Amino acid sequence: MRLFDDVIAGVNALLPGPPTKAAPYDPARCATDGEKDRILFRSETAFELGGGGKPSVCTVLFGDEPAESRVELYGPDLDAIRADQPFAHVTFARLRVSDGSAAHYEQIQKLGFTVFQVYPEGFLIRVSPMSGREQARVAKAAVECRPPLSLLNVGCSLIREFRKHPEIAAVRTAYITDPAFDYTALADLAAKARSITSALDRALGGGELDCAACKMKPVCDSVEGLRELHFGKEKTS
Amino acid sequence: MIPMKPIIFAFAGKGGVGKTSLSAAFVRLLTEQYPEKKILAVDADPAVGLLTALGVEPRLTLDDIRMRIAESIDRGETADAVALLSEARFHLLDCIAERGNLSVLAIGRPEAAGCYCKVNAYLKQVLESAAGNYDFVVIDGEAGIEQINRRVMETVTNLVLVSDGSRKGLQVIRTIVRVAERLMPGVRTGAIFNRVRPAFDPAGQADLPPVLAVIGDDPRQTENDMRGDTVFDLPEDSPLFVGAKAALRALLAPEEADHAAV
Repeated sequence: MRLFDDVIAGVNALLPGPPTKAAPYDPARCATDGEKDRILFRSETAFELGGGGKPSVCTVLFGDEPAESRVELYGPDLDAIRADQPFAHVTFARLRVSDGSAAHYEQIQKLGFTVFQVYPEGFLIRVSPMSGREQARVAKAAVECRPPLSLLNVGCSLIREFRKHPEIAAVRTAYITDPAFDYTALADLAAKARSITSALDRALGGGELDCAACKMKPVCDSVEGLRELHFGKEKTS
Repeated sequence: MIPMKPIIFAFAGKGGVGKTSLSAAFVRLLTEQYPEKKILAVDADPAVGLLTALGVEPRLTLDDIRMRIAESIDRGETADAVALLSEARFHLLDCIAERGNLSVLAIGRPEAAGCYCKVNAYLKQVLESAAGNYDFVVIDGEAGIEQINRRVMETVTNLVLVSDGSRKGLQVIRTIVRVAERLMPGVRTGAIFNRVRPAFDPAGQADLPPVLAVIGDDPRQTENDMRGDTVFDLPEDSPLFVGAKAALRALLAPEEADHAAV
């Protein structure tokens, strides 16, 4: 899987030192499931990660890591947060088979949507695929109870959702709440990942065949494998 | 005692008969009578008068979301249905203004000329997904029957038809009742006659839903509007407020009876 390699390397280089907390995936650690359409009202909310105009970033990257599923946290956990805070969430997913075919890439497009489909109780996640933002309202009840909800619990819930897809071999999900983290640099890398995904959409859909006229040209110029995927598909169709 | 399932009131009728003022009065009554319950007020009228009447202003309207998503698609960004739904869900919370136990949501006014189909489709979707979070929903609908005709109001449990004493006003609510009988099976209907002359007698009118309240001219409501005050500033003995109270009582009586039977 070459498409996201540069972005993955860039994200790993940005992550600060060893994580504050980390744990291997354990289904027993998953958060209690909430209801899909449940709104967490302001009056029930302790704080919003990525809320109040603070930076927020979300991206899902498919590549050759990780070896085993695990959750990592960089920065304070929920019980140590008192107000709206910058927030980032990066998911690295490895597929069982990575053959570089068009079908394979269509599959990863769909698997990326898994991050929209996690509903832990007391933790209202909202994701904007178009802007690459993820925010989460955290219920007062979730941080005041004992033991309080941890991002490790939320991460295990997300990994459990990914593992429902048989194509998934392992998932590493990293939450960043450290106020000193470079969210702008991560947002740039997430934007690059989105542009790769958009170029993939175009390539898989047939799309423009004249590179000089295509607005995705800069993306294809910088990401190895995209152009051959596009024209390889055209040759067989 | 009120049942857990959301009770959804929708106000409909001819333009200029006081739907917005009565919707706002319902919202005030519900927030005051049921402080432990959650109430959602939906301004579904493109004129967005309910927001002014309640004195609450959400940062975004649903139409703002629609515009943002449409612009993103135009820029060649993702148009996958799952992604679009997530995008709409992301912004929905920014469209809900909260004050105490009251949430307010506005459909907004499309800037572009043309039909309101997309906006109405949004309204329906939002009602279906968000309504379960509330005990009561009050919708100030647009004038006429468009939203009912297009099944936007399918989830409504109580349809409140508002008319003045004019022939046209009465004709509009008769039409709405006929359409609602076909498209909204099981909905409870009732009529509020507002701004009517003392001589007006609804008993003399054929084919009307049960009468919930008859309200005459209300100078206090007019003064309130002129000053730019909200419904929360309206004196409790104003005719509009007294009429709204009677109508709400009449509508909730069968709901309470249903609940007691369960």
